[in-house]
Amino acid sequence: MPFIYLHLHVGGARHCRVKARFIRWSPVTIYSVKKGHRIPSSFCSAVEDFLLHDLHALAAHAEEQPSSERLRQGVDQVFAIIDTIHQPWINGMELLEDAQKNKRALSTGCERIDSLLNGGLHEGHVTELAGPSSSGKTQLCLLAAANVAYQHKGGVTYVDTGNSFSPKRIAHFIGQVDQKVLRTVMNSIVCHRVYDIFTLLAMLHELEFRRKSQMCKGDGGVSLLIIDSISSLITPILGSNSPQGRALMISTGSLLKKLAHEYNIAVLVTNHTVGGNRGTIKPALGESWKTIPHTRLLFFRVCGSNTCDVSILKHPYVASGKAAKFTIHD
Amino acid sequence: MEVGRLPISATQKGKLISAGYTSLSSLSSLSPSLLSRDLSITETEALVIIKHASRGGSPSRSPAINGAQTAWEMLHEEELFTRITTSSADLDNILGGGISCKEVTEIGGIPGIGKTQIGIQLAVNVQIPVDCRGLGGKAIYIDTEGSFMVERVLQIAKACAEEMSANYDFSRNGLPSGQVLMQPQDFLENIICYRVCSYTEQIALVNSLDKIICAHREVKIVIIDSITFHFRQDFDDMALRTRLLSGMALKLMKLAKKFSLAVVLLNQAANKYTEGSLQLSLALGDSWSHACTNRIILYWNGNERYAYIDKSPSLRSRSAPYAVTSSGIRNLVSDSKRMKMM
Repeated sequence: MPFIYLHLHVGGARHCRVKARFIRWSPVTIYSVKKGHRIPSSFCSAVEDFLLHDLHALAAHAEEQPSSERLRQGVDQVFAIIDTIHQPWINGMELLEDAQKNKRALSTGCERIDSLLNGGLHEGHVTELAGPSSSGKTQLCLLAAANVAYQHKGGVTYVDTGNSFSPKRIAHFIGQVDQKVLRTVMNSIVCHRVYDIFTLLAMLHELEFRRKSQMCKGDGGVSLLIIDSISSLITPILGSNSPQGRALMISTGSLLKKLAHEYNIAVLVTNHTVGGNRGTIKPALGESWKTIPHTRLLFFRVCGSNTCDVSILKHPYVASGKAAKFTIHD
Repeated sequence: MEVGRLPISATQKGKLISAGYTSLSSLSSLSPSLLSRDLSITETEALVIIKHASRGGSPSRSPAINGAQTAWEMLHEEELFTRITTSSADLDNILGGGISCKEVTEIGGIPGIGKTQIGIQLAVNVQIPVDCRGLGGKAIYIDTEGSFMVERVLQIAKACAEEMSANYDFSRNGLPSGQVLMQPQDFLENIICYRVCSYTEQIALVNSLDKIICAHREVKIVIIDSITFHFRQDFDDMALRTRLLSGMALKLMKLAKKFSLAVVLLNQAANKYTEGSLQLSLALGDSWSHACTNRIILYWNGNERYAYIDKSPSLRSRSAPYAVTSSGIRNLVSDSKRMKMM
């Protein structure tokens, strides 16, 4: 069956469906290609060639040869499919409308950070918290999870790499509420334990599929995705001589950005720090990760106190260098 | 394979998989007629499959993707955990009851502060039977420095056994008085000790811990004394060191969660000048400091030993004094009390 054959070559479900449709429309074309029957031309000898080839050249070729009626039909169908799957263009007004309607700012529950970030964590943005150990990153993550679930009634997906997700602390942040309410709020926070980058990628892909089917049904679903910490997953694969680690890092980053943008999810990741020039500290993961987050915050805890300094390293529309202080209470 | 979970016949499952439908999401937007044609089944059958798939994949029924838990479930699970006592009430108090399972706790301090003593105490205390509000587990002790002194373990175990039988409510549990619950020798038998002589051995051992613990499910604590020793020397490539260490940290995290056991890493410390003042900081650098869930720093305050919680997702940063006595880790008896006793 040609249908099965093609499934072996594709990864994502979207492509699966596209190609399945394609096969159903022109079974004979692909079938002959698959069986190794050469199409009456020197252009293609396998399905991959057919799909990878310059389609315009192929169409022109089909036009010239009166005998290749089926090839022409096939090429037309490929064009039709390509038209339907590429992203439509959007103008500025539409983008603004989308931003105002779908991209809310989620309050973190910490007033000072909200005002620093112009309202909080923006849906559609990837926000990074960087800082040395015990500088308050996880505390802010837990606080944001509690607040988004309680105040915004949103779903929270919490990816925990350091066994530091503390449900007790979240319950404490939510405060004294009715047991039933607490139950609903706590049930909308889902925690995943992920200890390697491959599990993370698989999980993000699955999240994408779920989110897509939810969008079709008009369901709210996840509005905050927290990864605490992304750096501990990436550090073990980074820095070796092979470029694979870097590639994995960038594909994770772009997947996060895509999830954020297409499904209106606010993404919050944490990163650790390394020593920079002249005794300063800077976020880890290097230059190529720098382009991934929309917003970067640097945390620093004042020695021997509960006060933390936060400053903006990067933000789409707030001046960098702006700083605030917050305190971690019991 | 997600379709494997659908309540449909095995033949239909086979057909689905061979036609390339493995995940529920791939079925979600199909029409019954399409599916019936692809699988060469009747349209009614296809409709049933799609119904099951949409129910199984609906977020309201199963909010969690495989292996995930909601915070509500975790909150209740957390209440069931028993913590491993340190034998010092003050220390337990700041730790919220003791060293917690399912987490990685790092304990660091300068030489002679009592890191190994705490390690041995925990290896003994994890074996306190469930009747005595303990875990009744076993311990794995990974010794990289050669500081695991078995005579000292016996000493601590004796003290622990004596204390246990003194506090045990014999009348209620029907044990004849005078009979000891656990012999000190039993304690020694339940400590699985590994001597590690190079960082290669250390990495190999951490990698095989999963298999070892699968065979010894009673293990409730893994102590590495110390994580640092072999990594502090013979390393030219610091980037490689960071990579190895962070990989090892993730493995230990996974272990702690999978078998719900406590992982205790002992680390060395050094004084470091930051911002003009002398700061006690633990070895292995900045990126390692993210590798543990909790971090406890031991330090001298005058002549008294103190423990300080440097990092914890759920505990407050606090410090408490403790003492190392002949019977192990105990509360610090303050000078005024000591004077009275004399």
